[in-house]
Amino acid sequence: MKVVTAGTGMAAAEFVQRLRLEGFDGEIVMCSDEEFAPYSPCVIPFYLAGEPMDTVYWKGKDFYGRYGVSARLADPIIEVDAERRLVRTAAGRSETYDRLFYATGARSWYPRPEWLKTRGVFGFKTLTDMVAIDRYIREHGVRKAVVFGGGFIGVDAALALRHRGLEITLVHRNTRVLSQMTDGEGGEFATRKLAEKTGIDIRLRTTVDGIVENGGELSAVRFSNGDVMETPLLIVSIGVSPNSEPLRGDDKGVHGNEQMLADPCIYTAGDVAVTRHAVTRAKGVYATYPNAMMQARTAARHLFRGDGAYAGSINTNVLKKHIDFPIVSAGSFTGETVTWHRGDIWRRVYLLDGMINGYLIIGDTRISGYIYHLYLSRKRVDKTIRAILAEPRHDSYYRSMLGMVPV
Amino acid sequence: MKRIFVDYKKCLACKACETACALEHHPGGNLFGALGDLKTQINVRVLGIEQEAFPLSCRHCEPADCLNACPSGAISRDPESGAVLLDPALCKACAMCAMVCPFDAISFKVTHRSCYNRDVAYKCDLCNDRVKEGGVPACVGACHSGALVFAEYDAARGTRAAKSLRTYLLGAEGVPPHVELFRELRKKEFARRRGGE
Repeated sequence: MKVVTAGTGMAAAEFVQRLRLEGFDGEIVMCSDEEFAPYSPCVIPFYLAGEPMDTVYWKGKDFYGRYGVSARLADPIIEVDAERRLVRTAAGRSETYDRLFYATGARSWYPRPEWLKTRGVFGFKTLTDMVAIDRYIREHGVRKAVVFGGGFIGVDAALALRHRGLEITLVHRNTRVLSQMTDGEGGEFATRKLAEKTGIDIRLRTTVDGIVENGGELSAVRFSNGDVMETPLLIVSIGVSPNSEPLRGDDKGVHGNEQMLADPCIYTAGDVAVTRHAVTRAKGVYATYPNAMMQARTAARHLFRGDGAYAGSINTNVLKKHIDFPIVSAGSFTGETVTWHRGDIWRRVYLLDGMINGYLIIGDTRISGYIYHLYLSRKRVDKTIRAILAEPRHDSYYRSMLGMVPV
Repeated sequence: MKRIFVDYKKCLACKACETACALEHHPGGNLFGALGDLKTQINVRVLGIEQEAFPLSCRHCEPADCLNACPSGAISRDPESGAVLLDPALCKACAMCAMVCPFDAISFKVTHRSCYNRDVAYKCDLCNDRVKEGGVPACVGACHSGALVFAEYDAARGTRAAKSLRTYLLGAEGVPPHVELFRELRKKEFARRRGGE
């Protein structure tokens, strides 16, 4: 049997590694539009911050050789022909498969794609982006940057470039950064604290409306309020969309069933896959590493053994990189709220039917794992949650385990 | 494969485990070097919960949520000892591991093992090298009251642990009379203090 992966991202690498560890000895071909060994998108901003490139290859730089993979790199797949079971690439090559693992991930979405033709304007999604930004900063002696978009990737970009020593302006259209993983009040608290702790100039309710170039190079950006700011570097990170066109003809993602099958011979996983939420059962793209990894393992097991099912995705995430100020969230922000706040720590849980429906923990991670397990296990916590959040020594789990009533 | 189990009723909160752990993981290997050193890494923490004490550290769960959540390849399991190990050279301190650890067993700071002059995640390594040389973890070796026990982790326990996290923590119960007396006195003392407040 010949297995082809569309993508060499985290899902594809996990899938291939699992297949080989299970004992699969058939031919494996991995295809990517980039030229690298599988790398971790979580880690790549640290390359920009000055840490060694080798640490981005989280399963080793020799991945293809070690797992007996033929790599077809730097040549994007543009079409999947499910009937004839082959993929076609931009360079005109084609590759037949018995099973296709479709995990092409997502790409940056640009409001004005033509801006990227100007030197000094970059996306912030791939290792290719990081290498280009790094080279540009070194060659131009860049000291300041504007980051447009204050979602997870935008804040990650701002913190990584600050870590490198640049002066950062972060521009975001919403009333708070990280608007998807926070609620109004928590997000505003987090935004205020991030600005205080990092010195990043955060401009809310603002967008970048235009760029000024000089000889093909960026010289300034124009904000929606009319202000113009001189900068040699603009990072555009306002959103991503799934790379599902080659398979589905649109960018709405690829639906995977419980075996992560999108088609009898095509598995899908990762940031392109549409799956059900483990708690709410709502369908969506749940683009985090733990989901991608479990999806890939489900697919590998099903391919090799013919059994197993995906338990569902969890929309949990944390932002803590480059700064000791974690922001953790999961679930949905609806229901009765219970909030606790002291100093730099801010915690809120949303309750529905006495169970945790969503939560937001800012400033420390000490009870986040306990809350995460209370959320997943669907335990009733309406009588205890106030004490759990407010416990000044953050030892609620151990209290419950020793049978101590929360005080 | 062996794990550290906690018989918390025998814990006298002497913190000998914390001291032994600090020395074991300090490059100087002596108390004078480790004291007052902000980079000193202590992988076990004695919690005081009312009159009870609980030495908290990584349970080396199977499966381990932290290992499955780590997107930088920093967390792995030693196939021989079963220890869940964290490589500070690969750790990016992203906190995905801490976000899912129910035991609050993973902390962050600049340690002597940090490679890039920033914080990294650190946690119990089950004194993997010591154990492979035939020893017991430093904290277990230092525990005088029998609260920390290094014992075989059997398959039956694994099945129970999947149902209740409690099973990861607790060893055999049964408290010797002098420790029982100590517990009674401690309980009274705490009640007295509460009354006096």
